[in-house]
Amino acid sequence: MISQHILDLVMLGEMILIALAVGLYFLHGVWLLLTQRRLQALTDVARSSLARLVTSGVVDPAQIESLRKLPRGVQVTAFLEVSTNLSGASKERLRFVAQQVGLLDYARKLCENWLWTRRLRGTRILSRMDVPDPLVLKLLVDRHPAVRAQAAEWAAAQPSVPVITAMLRLLADSATQARFAVQNALLRMGAVAAGPLATYLERNSGRAAQAGLRVAESLADARFAPAALRLSRTDDIPIRAAAAKLLGAVGGAPAAERLSELMSDAAPEVRAAAAQSLGRMQHWQGGSLLARGLCDSTWRVRRQSALALRALGAPGALFLRRALKGDDRFAADMAQQILDLPAAAIG
Amino acid sequence: MIDVLPVLSRLLEAGEVIVLVYFVGVNAWYLALLVSSMLELRRHLLLIKGESRHLLLSSTLSPTISILAPAFNEEASIEISLRALLALQYPSLEVIVISDGSKDRTVQVLIERFDLVPVKTIYEHRIETKPVRCLYRSSTYPSLVVVDKENGGKADALNVGLGFARGELVCAMDADTLIEADGLQRMVRPFLYSTDVVAAGGTIRVVNGSEVKLGRVATAAVPGNMLAGIQVVEYLRAFLFGRLGWNRLGGNIIVSGAFGLFQREAVLRAGGYLHDTVGEDMELVLRLKRLSRERGGPGEIAFVPDSVAWTEVPESARVLGRQRDRWHRGLADVLWRHRRMLFNPRYGVTGMFVFPYYAFVELLAPAFEAVGLVTLAFGLAIGLADWRFAGLFYLSAYGLGTALSAVTLIVEDVSFHRYESFRDRALLFCWALLENVGYRQLTVYWRLRGAWKFLRGRKDWGVMERKGFRGVPAAEPRPL
Repeated sequence: MISQHILDLVMLGEMILIALAVGLYFLHGVWLLLTQRRLQALTDVARSSLARLVTSGVVDPAQIESLRKLPRGVQVTAFLEVSTNLSGASKERLRFVAQQVGLLDYARKLCENWLWTRRLRGTRILSRMDVPDPLVLKLLVDRHPAVRAQAAEWAAAQPSVPVITAMLRLLADSATQARFAVQNALLRMGAVAAGPLATYLERNSGRAAQAGLRVAESLADARFAPAALRLSRTDDIPIRAAAAKLLGAVGGAPAAERLSELMSDAAPEVRAAAAQSLGRMQHWQGGSLLARGLCDSTWRVRRQSALALRALGAPGALFLRRALKGDDRFAADMAQQILDLPAAAIG
Repeated sequence: MIDVLPVLSRLLEAGEVIVLVYFVGVNAWYLALLVSSMLELRRHLLLIKGESRHLLLSSTLSPTISILAPAFNEEASIEISLRALLALQYPSLEVIVISDGSKDRTVQVLIERFDLVPVKTIYEHRIETKPVRCLYRSSTYPSLVVVDKENGGKADALNVGLGFARGELVCAMDADTLIEADGLQRMVRPFLYSTDVVAAGGTIRVVNGSEVKLGRVATAAVPGNMLAGIQVVEYLRAFLFGRLGWNRLGGNIIVSGAFGLFQREAVLRAGGYLHDTVGEDMELVLRLKRLSRERGGPGEIAFVPDSVAWTEVPESARVLGRQRDRWHRGLADVLWRHRRMLFNPRYGVTGMFVFPYYAFVELLAPAFEAVGLVTLAFGLAIGLADWRFAGLFYLSAYGLGTALSAVTLIVEDVSFHRYESFRDRALLFCWALLENVGYRQLTVYWRLRGAWKFLRGRKDWGVMERKGFRGVPAAEPRPL
């Protein structure tokens, strides 16, 4: 049999482990109970102090001193909570108080730490407080993607030329964690980013262009038209499809003409995108092309064409009803389904 | 007899050594997973601390998600469940309810409460499924699609849903799963971070004992029922240290069928869910992983611990036994189907570590445990082992399991801390201790039964009897 001495040792080890785990579990419960109450009370005090300081507009040294004395964790929680609901002059006052309390210096120090988790924390504080610190600009090229993503989030509220230029360089970032953040930040910058993005799209192709096209479609600025027309002629299918969508968002006669050409593209993804865009533009002159799209061999193209016809209003409905009586059973079925859809379900 | 005893004694000794070595090996794996999960949890908590997800909510760049909710005889609860789904905090969401040949008034309730109108029933047939009877769209809820189809099981219903879905991502769930309001926002993160992610799973928690209001868990509590309570500990252990641990090691191969997010196009390219298996969720994930190595394309499976959904677990031994039996059959079936991945370096970490782990630890564990217990009982019966030795053997075999459960409870307490009261804390700890006294041995029996049924080719699902959530009436029994 196995030596009882070994079993004794194993059991002793396990008993110690279990006893430690149990002790820790319950001690942690007691610790949580005590600290959470205390921290909650301190956070409540911090919130009301901040609310008073921000709304009154008067700097009360006593209140700032009381905020300074709070634990750093409580300060961060309270400032970040309040900052979410502020903008303009109120946010400016909040930043002033944060500077006085020492929170911004603390965040800057964190940004320079060698641990990525601390840099992330620092960038997050500066970003949520919308602090225009050039230190964060440097973090747009940080070695950790999470820090880059957070810095990109900060950049959305700082739409200056160097920031936009740095953001565009990041659009083709191989670590996509930063790419979504970059796309989203450019989108939030709005029209300010449209000019540089248009130039970027005119100069780039491939994956880099694809990331930009998605932002451009949401921004829907007329300045993207030349780049969209150029990219709609590339060999890359996803790029052509994305360019077709951008043409639909931008609109205009050249876009409509190119989209009509793209309805005969070899790739079904591109034809579907072109149909969707013609519908988005409510280009009723394209009705007959879309009616032809109803008879396409690919489901997606038929569906997008039918939805586009419905979006055209009365002229499109006429084409759809005509398809019901046509010889093509697939086109008739698709037309019927789209005509059956309640108005709320179109979109 | 004088000649037989020494032989028996040697056999028993050999059996015990094998079983103990196996236990040591398994527990070493568990310890490695525990350490890995703690590191991963720390990284995750630091990553999400102070993040602002409202940016995702307001962005037109957020990927569209189609929720696929198969429903079978859910007349009593479908309205509340669906309203909760439609109210999920996510910017571009489509909800597809698939009535899988319900025999009650599920579809009628939906028509009446959600202003449904029938539309021409055509859809993209990329996967063969049972026929669809009717397609409905809502006049008041633009994102709602209801499909009424002939009964074909959950996998078939999900495949139909895939045909109607328009989202870039699809969320597969059970109709009675309660997803937390921000669950999708949290779960979508890995897809934004990496283009290589093909599926993501969240944490499933036990809803029994908790208070549910309007399809959301209002107050989380540990159930007083022993079976449900022990399952709370089991689920915490499975998700907080099992899946999280594998996440860091790069080898998750399970996304719970109750709540998982997938790249729609990848699932369609892989051929959708298989009908002829009872482990369709694990099978799909393993197939996606395998295909990504064979054909290229995304293949990473992420686990997002802070994305939470709640599910009801069985409170009777009979129903629980059927569930565990089916899970083990499913595991055996999936591992058998993909057996060529075993120790195959072509499949990387999955082939060299994860697959062997599931084959030798998860699949064979009940057999080893049974051998250990039978050997011990036999030794006691013929006087070759004394009670002191038996006790020591039992404690050394199961003690580490208890310690791991206790550590998991600490991890939960430190990280997400969903159970706050002292009562919950004490109950959880009791259930963690009691798990190894009777319950674990029962699961060994159920899992062995499952393995036996697999060998005999049984593929039935059994029926889940629902008691209903606290504050919500119970529904009809549904397939497990």
